[in-house]
Amino acid sequence: MDHFQRYAQIIPDFDEFSSIQAQPLASSARINTLKTDRFSLLRRLDRANIAYRTLDWYPLGLLLEVERPGKMVEHMLGLIHIQEVVSMIPPIVLDPQPGQTVLDLCAAPGSKTSQISQLMNNQGLVVANEPSLSRITSLRANCERLGAINVAITRYDGRGFPDHQFDRVLVDAPCSGEGTSRKDSAVLNRCSVKRSLDLQALQLGLLSRAVSLLRSGGVLVYSTCTYAPEENEAVIDKVLENSKDSLMLENASIPGLKGCSGIAEWEGTVFREDLKRTVRYYPHQNDTGGFFIAKMVKE
Amino acid sequence: MPRWSRNRGAFQLQERSIIAEMWWDRFGIARNIFDSYSFYRQARNIWAFSNATLPKFSFEAVGLRMMNFKEKPWKPTTSALQVFGKYATRNFISLDEKEARCFLAGESQSQEGNVEPGYIVVFYKEEVLGCALYSKGILHSQLPKELRIGHEEEMKM
Repeated sequence: MDHFQRYAQIIPDFDEFSSIQAQPLASSARINTLKTDRFSLLRRLDRANIAYRTLDWYPLGLLLEVERPGKMVEHMLGLIHIQEVVSMIPPIVLDPQPGQTVLDLCAAPGSKTSQISQLMNNQGLVVANEPSLSRITSLRANCERLGAINVAITRYDGRGFPDHQFDRVLVDAPCSGEGTSRKDSAVLNRCSVKRSLDLQALQLGLLSRAVSLLRSGGVLVYSTCTYAPEENEAVIDKVLENSKDSLMLENASIPGLKGCSGIAEWEGTVFREDLKRTVRYYPHQNDTGGFFIAKMVKE
Repeated sequence: MPRWSRNRGAFQLQERSIIAEMWWDRFGIARNIFDSYSFYRQARNIWAFSNATLPKFSFEAVGLRMMNFKEKPWKPTTSALQVFGKYATRNFISLDEKEARCFLAGESQSQEGNVEPGYIVVFYKEEVLGCALYSKGILHSQLPKELRIGHEEEMKM
């Protein structure tokens, strides 16, 4: 918890933020429209007397009052995918269309990959890249269980991903994961400014490569589940600087979901004015984990 | 089938009609069900992929693993049956709730069914649960361990 003190000045209602850390996250799931539809799935849960709540801002998101959602028949059948609520945000902002060619540069375990596939209705191509062989196992298993049949998996270092032109690229970057602390507070033991700066180098490498893989007019989404400005606004600020005006930041907010604009400055560094179009999500705003997201369009 | 590739990493496009014919032969699934898919062979697996051209990358997986030829007869995967099994017109079986729970737990059970020995599609109500091996009156669940649901789970279905 002490680690979060460095954000006391940037997180609104910091006391509320601090007190919600002790409350565990509710189980949440996404309805997989590649195998069912919302009406049928909700009717099925009703008949089985499974308690749930729906999300106001995303019709396919569910909060489940189930002890072990991974052992539900609906999970085994691929009708739902157990997925953290804020993790449903990036594919919605990316807004992939059926028939497009999409790259998910840091894909495992495939929650966002399969959500992208479902938004494309299995039409077009999703290239799901993951450098770690062990993490490819979960990525593949999830895509197969969910019937995401337009997904092809590659195993490159994302910073050296081979030349191609994509309509959409998602960089859900490796990060310090501070926003997942309600799930497992041990994550904070590994967090430090030095670690965030180390990760920043990797994040910049991934995002720079992603920019060159994006076609003109294409959409690039960058996201992390951390609060550290070093891994968020600072990364976007540098990439925009390097892109020499070929990238435009667009508003990444989602109607109905409470968030904060990206911060204007951090420890003496003033960020570009347009970084307020990026969005920060804090746990006490929507009772979720923490998240950061930026949306860019290439000229 | 053609001889297997020596290159384990290579995904080679297969003739769709050959795959469709095999699924027609075993499960009576109409050949046109597969019209919008392409099929790739990698080592002893066939992968089903929604119809899109593949860039020239090195792939770890392409779509979903459809069937494997490690032994005879060829074996359909759970994920493939969950997508295509609902079109089966033969070699399928419908279980009642108690039997379905056994199947989900990964167990074998005796079963009378109008099916040929070999791999069959397992239904519960309208849904395909997965694949079983039917042999000498015993139905052996082929559900992968990670998808099994033990009897200790309070299951609502």
